[in-house]
Amino acid sequence: MAITRREFIKYSTISGIGIIGMLNGLPLLGALKESTNGTSSVAKWMTTVCQGCTTWCPVQVKMIDGRAVKVRGSEYAKANHGKCCVRAHMGIQQLYDPDRLKVPMMRTNPKKGRNEDPGFVPITWEKAIDIITDKMMELRKNEETHKFVLFRGRYTYMRDIIYEVMPKVFGSPNGISHSAICAEAEKFGSFFTEGYWGYRDYDLDKTRYVLCWGADPIASNRQVPHATSIWGKVQRQAKIAVIDPRLSTTAAKANEWLPVIPGEDGALAVAMAHTILVEGLWSKLFVGDFKEGENLFKKGKIVPEESFVENYTYGLVKWWNLELKDKTPEWAEKKSGIPAEQIRRVAIGFADAAPRVISWVSPGTAMQVRGGYSALAAHALNGLVGSVDNVGGTVRGSKIPVNKVPKYKEYYDDIAKAGTKHKKMDQRGYLKFPSLKKGKPGSGVVTNNAADAILNEDPYEIKMAIGYWNNFPFSCSGAERWEKALSKLPFFAHITTHASEMSHFADIVLPAAHSMFEKYGFIKSKQNLIAYVALNKRIIEPLWDVKMDETEIPWEIAAKLKEKGFPNLMDFFQAKFKDPETGKVPQNGLEFSLFALKYYTQPIWDKNHEKYGKYGDAPDGWDDFYEKGVWNSKKYKYRQNWGNFGTATKKFEFYSETLKKSLGKHADKHGVSIDTVLEKCDYVARGEVAFVPHYEPAFRRGDPREYPFIFFEHRSRLNREGRSANLTWYQAHKDSDPGDENWDDVAKINPIDAKKIGINNGDKIKLISPVGELQCNAKLWEGVRPGTIAKCFGQGHWAYGRIAAKDFKNRVPRGGNNNVILPAEYDRLSGSTARHGGVTRVKIEKIV
Amino acid sequence: MANYGMIIDLKNCVGCAGCDIACKTENNLDHDVHWSFHITETTGVFPNVGYRYIPKLCNHCENASCVKVCPTQAMYKDENGLTLHDPDKCIGCRSCELACPYNCISFNEDVQHQHQWQMDTEPLLEGITSSGKEIAEKFDNVPFPNYNPDRAKTYDGVRRKGIVEKCTLCDHRILDGKDPWCVVSCPADARIFGDFDDPKSEVSILLAENSAFQLLKSKGTKPKVYYINEF
Repeated sequence: MAITRREFIKYSTISGIGIIGMLNGLPLLGALKESTNGTSSVAKWMTTVCQGCTTWCPVQVKMIDGRAVKVRGSEYAKANHGKCCVRAHMGIQQLYDPDRLKVPMMRTNPKKGRNEDPGFVPITWEKAIDIITDKMMELRKNEETHKFVLFRGRYTYMRDIIYEVMPKVFGSPNGISHSAICAEAEKFGSFFTEGYWGYRDYDLDKTRYVLCWGADPIASNRQVPHATSIWGKVQRQAKIAVIDPRLSTTAAKANEWLPVIPGEDGALAVAMAHTILVEGLWSKLFVGDFKEGENLFKKGKIVPEESFVENYTYGLVKWWNLELKDKTPEWAEKKSGIPAEQIRRVAIGFADAAPRVISWVSPGTAMQVRGGYSALAAHALNGLVGSVDNVGGTVRGSKIPVNKVPKYKEYYDDIAKAGTKHKKMDQRGYLKFPSLKKGKPGSGVVTNNAADAILNEDPYEIKMAIGYWNNFPFSCSGAERWEKALSKLPFFAHITTHASEMSHFADIVLPAAHSMFEKYGFIKSKQNLIAYVALNKRIIEPLWDVKMDETEIPWEIAAKLKEKGFPNLMDFFQAKFKDPETGKVPQNGLEFSLFALKYYTQPIWDKNHEKYGKYGDAPDGWDDFYEKGVWNSKKYKYRQNWGNFGTATKKFEFYSETLKKSLGKHADKHGVSIDTVLEKCDYVARGEVAFVPHYEPAFRRGDPREYPFIFFEHRSRLNREGRSANLTWYQAHKDSDPGDENWDDVAKINPIDAKKIGINNGDKIKLISPVGELQCNAKLWEGVRPGTIAKCFGQGHWAYGRIAAKDFKNRVPRGGNNNVILPAEYDRLSGSTARHGGVTRVKIEKIV
Repeated sequence: MANYGMIIDLKNCVGCAGCDIACKTENNLDHDVHWSFHITETTGVFPNVGYRYIPKLCNHCENASCVKVCPTQAMYKDENGLTLHDPDKCIGCRSCELACPYNCISFNEDVQHQHQWQMDTEPLLEGITSSGKEIAEKFDNVPFPNYNPDRAKTYDGVRRKGIVEKCTLCDHRILDGKDPWCVVSCPADARIFGDFDDPKSEVSILLAENSAFQLLKSKGTKPKVYYINEF
């Protein structure tokens, strides 16, 4: 059932819940047209959220007669303070992309595979939802509801409805998120030191030294607009050192570039810690000191534990004795390729500027095989110099008062009770996947392994899946496995803006509303020491028959399931998502979306709520909140966690009792030793060293004799995740990623290597790894280390539209997708996909 | 009367191309027409490598070679020191394009946007995806969906076939007392717009306080886009 233009006006007008403002500027008002000389008649800046990366910035879109014309940062947001990055502008091209899906479509060719034409034909929403719910009812009839999976991709916090409640009330435990292909290993670093499973915020305004571990904050995640706006100031008041095998823009603007051999980041981190200790530069206030005052941290010397008294930290001497005492810069030079002198200079510079310093851990350092330990070591530097939770350092987010998903277990019937008792399908918690989210074994998702779980029917067969705003055959390493897994899956429905690689294997494809322009939702994020909630809004009337992924579609499914004899989901929606202001029960998907949005954010706007105004802004009711579209927290208070870190000891742990406990639980569950766990999970540590931040050598696939180059990838400042490549603005400005070329996909090769193998600039080449091959062009560039090949992620789509693919019809990609040559490997302790750290070697063949 | 120009602080600039794309939204540019663009260069040998990004736009030169060579006075200096282009006088001889040492003038072989929004009629998936033309037809009186009518206050909203076009420093915004859109959109505050004849303007002060450089100063065009600091 599509909401027609007339229904939309009627609904909007009578609802009286604050969307009147959004009608301004909509073409449906009709009377106002642009005059022939082109001057505008109705223009209004409307607030929404850009989800082009995971910073999630409040932005404003200039609407003229219902058209989205241009974009700026939201004036109401204290976090990005009126700034947006280049990605937000690009949202407009995404919105008006002719290759977006207009209507639902259905596969007519039952055979699935990359080389099968799916034979998609348009169908109605009614028919599409009917087919999907038939399949769901069949699973219920056979009491195998657990064989249903909901794959989540880019989301807002309305996600609970589709990702948690819908599968569970239906009877499946399988809400499987994309998180483990994002940056979970980063969180591992802060959790097992300071007890915080989350992304840190950074006090750039007051910092004096920024040490970036693969981080490229003026180009890509995190907090790009704030970092960009303040980087000039940071450069003037602080030193910047960037550890990155590629000369990123941040590296180019830094005082120090440390082009580490991919995957050897951990060597640098422990050598820096070693240096800080032998130089006596640790924070006496935060960490403590030797009883007798004399610094006993001397190269190679064991230190008696009782000689040191710690303040807010735990296990410093253990860390030294177990790991650091021999990890000199000279040792690290051999591992990392970075001169000892530079390692020492950076470590001393960093510690000298402390505590106003930031050791900024990013996916580049963390999302590696064994990268959890690199993240741990790099984040531990913040503890060592007392910059954690401190002025000019790394901090957490302020409290955000929003409601949780209403209780739904009472809506379980016997089938749901039985179905949800099954283990999740991604093998989390298996011996090889400890996946220690928040310290709990088997609690974190192992997104990329879901493909193997489907292929091997382990732990059980999967018969049906729905995916939204994800594209795993493109975005997951070992991409070919996903093509096979989705080909095997008996029924798959995909919710997406574009027909994509993942859609190619779908039985039903549903057109999604765009998150920046067409959808109701809310996000929580932080930048600039401000946490915030911002509203995704439907600020335009969609051109096409799209629906909101997280609310409208579950509503349609629930309605149809009710018709077919399973009313529980709809009963839950109608009972728990009444309009908080009027008590009105939602009657359609759009009302449901808005009422749910109001429900979740009620503590922010409802003056009668106990949390109203307590943690930040106090908007004048729903209409005011809706209009401004953003709620700002109070500014983060420094040192609020000192003495009460969320670890087992409440201290900042250099010897992680928290990790020891978690690993112990996992080992006990499987009746093995912790050493066996480590062995099965590809780590080299054995014994006590596993509980301290330590060096693990880089893990690589491929014999160096056959595959001479280490391959590593990086992010584009123009990537709206993997979804920008169909935009001409992306292609025409690709050279804003240093070393890249417009309208091209290049492998960046050091000229020394190129000469050795006879490759010239612009040559067509194949990159071949042990798991796959891709084609792209060669770019000779000095910004990469000899022996390594760098390539940006984002190109290589074969099914994302006419620009992204070189030949959409024949499934020929423009350039090559890195995930075809990257193997599916993991940082198993965090469950993360290890796309970084030079996880594979490659060889290069010239195409003649 | 003013003498408008710009200072670009390269230390603030992060090389993001935000100005380039924002300019396209403000001035209705096709993707391959760049009023605001950039030069990038990588220097040195690993590991001593430098990279810099220099934003580039029309320099609104005091001694503009494009104006000098224009046979019809289509290219002219206005009373505020802007180098502007009158499409009604332009005969499309492209002399200005050749004369500009900065490669800041574009020639339109075709009407901009027509390939995407008029000539594209083929959907990738019949009945399922759209075409540029189908989308354009949903909007009355505008050539493409995100068309900005403000541009048409002082220039063709979308420039004609067979003549040139260039950056106007958003003269239509200056008229309303607003900064050019690239200046507003720069997330790094790297671009500062102002009147060099006003000694109290930020641009005059910055120019006095910093050592600045201009692109191709030796050409004698007296460019009014100055760069300060290092990238």
